[in-house]
Amino acid sequence: MARMRFLCDIERCIDCNGCVVACKEGNGVPVGINRRRVVTINEGRPGERSLSISCMHCSNAPCIAVCPVKAIYQREDGIVLVNKDICIGCGYCFIACPFGAPQFPKGDTFGKRGVMDKCTFCAGGPAPTFSEKERRLYGQNRIAEGKVPLCAAMCSTKALLAGDGDKISQIFQERVARRGTGAKAPGWSVAY
Amino acid sequence: MAGVANTWGYGAMTNSMNDIRHSKCIFMLGSNAAEAHPVAMQHILYAKEVNNAPLIVVDPRFTKLAAKATDYVRIRPGTDTAFVMGLVNEIVTNGWHDKDFIQKRVAGFPEMCEKASHYTPEVVEDITGIPASEVKRIARILATHRPGTVIWCMGATQHSIGSSNTRALCILQLVLGNMGVSGGGTNIFRGHDNVQGATDMCVLSHSLPAYYGIKDGSWKHWCRVWDVDYEWMKSRFHSKEYMNKKGFTLARWYQGVIQEDKINQYTPIKAVVFWGCASNSQSQYHKLKKALDLLDLVVIIDPFPTMTAAACAKDNVYLLPSSSQYETEGSVTSSSRQIQWRFKVVDPVHDSKDDYWIMNEMVKRFGFHDKFYKNIKKIPDDITRELCKGSLTIGYNGALPERIKKHTLNWETFDVDTLKARGGPCDGEYYGLPWPCWTETHPGTPILYDISKPVAKGGLPFRARFGTEHTYWNGRKENLLAAEGVYNPGSEVKGGYPEFKNIVPGTNWKTDLSQKTIKEAIKRGMAPFGNARARCVCWNFPDQVPVHREPLHSPRPDLVAKYPTYPDKKDQYRVYTRFKSEQRPELVKKFPYVLITGRMVEHMGGGAETRSNKYLAELKPHMYAEINVRLANNLGIRNGDMIWIESPEQGRIKVMAKVTDRVDEKTIFLPFHFGGMFMGKSLEANYPKGTEPYAIGEPANIVTNYGYDIITQIQGTKEGLCQVSKA
Amino acid sequence: MKFNLTSNHLRVLLYTVFLTAAGASALAANYIILNFGNISTTQAFKAFPFLVSPKWEAYANDFIPFVHAIPGMVWPILVFIPLIFLIHFFAIGPKNFSEDGERILFYGAFTRFFHWINAILFSLIVITGLMIVFSKALGGGGLIQNARLIHLSCAYAFIVTVIPLFLVWLKDMIPMPHDVKWFLILGGYLSKKATTVPAGKFNAGQKIWFWLATVGGAVMFYTGFYLSDITSRPQSELFSLLKIHIILGLFILALFITHLYMSLFAVKGSLKSMISGFKGKEEVKCLHSKMKI
Repeated sequence: MARMRFLCDIERCIDCNGCVVACKEGNGVPVGINRRRVVTINEGRPGERSLSISCMHCSNAPCIAVCPVKAIYQREDGIVLVNKDICIGCGYCFIACPFGAPQFPKGDTFGKRGVMDKCTFCAGGPAPTFSEKERRLYGQNRIAEGKVPLCAAMCSTKALLAGDGDKISQIFQERVARRGTGAKAPGWSVAY
Repeated sequence: MAGVANTWGYGAMTNSMNDIRHSKCIFMLGSNAAEAHPVAMQHILYAKEVNNAPLIVVDPRFTKLAAKATDYVRIRPGTDTAFVMGLVNEIVTNGWHDKDFIQKRVAGFPEMCEKASHYTPEVVEDITGIPASEVKRIARILATHRPGTVIWCMGATQHSIGSSNTRALCILQLVLGNMGVSGGGTNIFRGHDNVQGATDMCVLSHSLPAYYGIKDGSWKHWCRVWDVDYEWMKSRFHSKEYMNKKGFTLARWYQGVIQEDKINQYTPIKAVVFWGCASNSQSQYHKLKKALDLLDLVVIIDPFPTMTAAACAKDNVYLLPSSSQYETEGSVTSSSRQIQWRFKVVDPVHDSKDDYWIMNEMVKRFGFHDKFYKNIKKIPDDITRELCKGSLTIGYNGALPERIKKHTLNWETFDVDTLKARGGPCDGEYYGLPWPCWTETHPGTPILYDISKPVAKGGLPFRARFGTEHTYWNGRKENLLAAEGVYNPGSEVKGGYPEFKNIVPGTNWKTDLSQKTIKEAIKRGMAPFGNARARCVCWNFPDQVPVHREPLHSPRPDLVAKYPTYPDKKDQYRVYTRFKSEQRPELVKKFPYVLITGRMVEHMGGGAETRSNKYLAELKPHMYAEINVRLANNLGIRNGDMIWIESPEQGRIKVMAKVTDRVDEKTIFLPFHFGGMFMGKSLEANYPKGTEPYAIGEPANIVTNYGYDIITQIQGTKEGLCQVSKA
Repeated sequence: MKFNLTSNHLRVLLYTVFLTAAGASALAANYIILNFGNISTTQAFKAFPFLVSPKWEAYANDFIPFVHAIPGMVWPILVFIPLIFLIHFFAIGPKNFSEDGERILFYGAFTRFFHWINAILFSLIVITGLMIVFSKALGGGGLIQNARLIHLSCAYAFIVTVIPLFLVWLKDMIPMPHDVKWFLILGGYLSKKATTVPAGKFNAGQKIWFWLATVGGAVMFYTGFYLSDITSRPQSELFSLLKIHIILGLFILALFITHLYMSLFAVKGSLKSMISGFKGKEEVKCLHSKMKI
């Protein structure tokens, strides 16, 4: 069984936020909720690098471990999803998550939190596939359509890879292996 | 583009986005592709990774592109020519230039070297602020990594010496012998998906479509294409003089209304139509606003009510809601000269109408509907067909609508590296038939001036456009045609030859609508436009060889005397344009900081569309000015404070300070996408109810300075001065 | 500016980015030329977690077992404390005082009014709090979300209405030396005889309950307030707040149950006196011997 993963190549990410907007437009995510976002270190200085992060669909995910009602679960292909019918919006998953992935839309009364919303790997949710309810609560189900998540599909520099973990890590490894060779390799300019 | 066209024939990107994948070195000057052209970055980063190509970024600002660079050079705004000529000098001095290429395919090389020799690394250091050792190092990198490509954008062109900058970069590529090869070339990234198309159609004031100019012969050529009477066309003008007189440009049209500078036209301008154009991208916007309030009529055709609509204080505005690109169809030409068909996804929503409909209704009311649509029965296919028929200069004639659609619908059959289809219905053709596509069976020309391929298969020599012989100022005479042995495979003539004419008597390859001339040339394995040398010296330009001239508003008064700008131009595109009289060295005392503008990735152009998108507005909700940490601390400005920025032209804007190291201590950077505010006041109430953008801010162009290019009159938004104070 | 950024999250992030840039830039010299060969991808990767979830490794390992332990901490209190009282009720029995004779106005109308308002709010907070703790057994979903809403709304109301009561009773709730003696005999509740107990208007047990409910309540409100808007603080701080909220909550729960037992069962007439305001003189003399009548 393929194990779904995201991988962001920071040597390629140019902080264009295309993934963020694609995700929001495609899934109808409200303003203020960031299923995915781009963070930058050393902005404006040498060593500036950007990274697009969302839910990383961890194996042994801490959010699943802390969820008091077991609303968060992992599919067989590794995609971590939340059941919005069971979630109580307690926020423990937010504290447990190392990536700040769980998002809580603001309610109206005293800023009450709604239920948790996060990246679904564009795999919809526990509601019936392609149903109106799934669309409304979780967004698109591109995995069921046989497509990669919107963010990775939209990535302009192919920095963000999504799909079978083995395959994307192979792509990434090939990329890394090719870097540091060729005309700029040590000794190239002096040899011969 | 004028600089490029005057060097070797065509003013367009010579290679393609995809071809950058073959580059061994990428030199980017005045381009922030990571924000302005994110998709092109995949090819740039591919070359950087796979070929280990050094990515050299020259910019006054440490951009997001610079973050991806292997070498970053911080340059003083407006000194690009000095730096590039310094590189040329360093390359030639060390004998790293491509002697064989220059000897066979380049004209005016010794004369150019003579001028370039002034720019020693030490002189370059003084002018540009780049240490001499770095000039030498970058020159060595360029010389040791060939073929390398040169990429530039508005950062190089929006200067009073913009056309010199572009020519200097062309010369750099000629000296390195990087022209006409895969991985080389000058790749000029255009700002929108169809800017190349718009330029080819010459939505400009100085030329008819396809760069024919506005001489009588050009009018007659197009009248033949349109099948209208030349005399009738003439009768439409105020007088014959205005038929051949260059019109106002986008940068300075408002002077035709407010007349601060003397205009050369029988009447001031009374009406203006903005068709998909954001007025807040034009410099000295506060003056443009003055013009809007003086006009009798302002028509805005746009999917969104733009900043222009909000800026008008007088009741003289008509808003025509046009549809977006998804609600209409037609051909578009990309930066890489590739033509693609854009299909319609949905019918125009709400009350909007597509541009064709609006044009049709307007033409009907003007009363020349029968003539306008004489050859056009099916919209938009017949429009493409008609323009292809007439655009022989740039070889649009092979790009028939059927072929374009076939390419677009079968794009998966094309190779991402070479752009060539392998099998399938378009076998052997290049994607989008990059112009020139000489005949209906021609595969397109993916790389211009490439003599390794036959002309019929997409090869070309340099264009013979500037005569066959020239005598330079030093008395040297040079044959401008290519040397013996320079020819495309299969060429009948094994050396240089002039352009084809009189195959059909009285016409040349550009005006022979029967296309017999072009077909004859292709059959003989030769380029219709001849085979010549590329020019290092442009004798029709004020600077025959690009030399450094200080910006009009220079932060270095000591250099103004040494590198003064041009004398004033009395009638440049119908308006008096100040150069010498505007160059005031004392200005820097009152306006000590250099002002540059640029793009941010979240917004586009004037931002009417992107600022009305809630997600994009959420990402970048505020107009800001980037200010260096040290300068901010000295002025007592903290991150997020509101500051006033003032220009020598009395423009002032109130924006948020973003304290960052991206810019240096003397420079202020502004993104130019904002609108909806004007000199501290909100114009939100001026938008039709419910159409206010989510994000509004001051247009940066209120504070951009006076200054225009000597040739093209492009606005000099990347080299002004300003003053900053805490609000 | 028209557009108002509502996401605290994004704001925190942007600030972090700006602050990192601004802070580090103090060190940066005025450079012109830069070469980038020296910053490795791995190094850069390591820098990102500091932006996203600082100190995650430090707290996350404790957080998961803590969350799992919460129900386990709460149910013994719910079971064993009532059990102790049940034994007390049958082994020793409630205190009975004569309701005849002179009656003393012990609680004014104002006090009683606010006591009952607070009693209702507090009970709701405790019940909904317990519902949240045992949400899994209750199936989660809308029920618990509503419980959370009530929990939060009542907390807002409680923190306001507790102030008058706090001020009225403050003087009598200051700990006194005789409170130690009260503790030594556990308020006389272990004896069946009606002995005189050293206490002022309120005994030491009531004082503890008072301080836990008011000041403890304020701490619960403070921690709960930030837990309700989770994007307001870094995650590691939220965990500390949660720890305080839960552990203090355990004590409050224990005292809440005690209070219920005392007022409903242990002292006969206690409930009535909070309704009418009067207590029998005998009872006052016995249980609140140091009070000046």
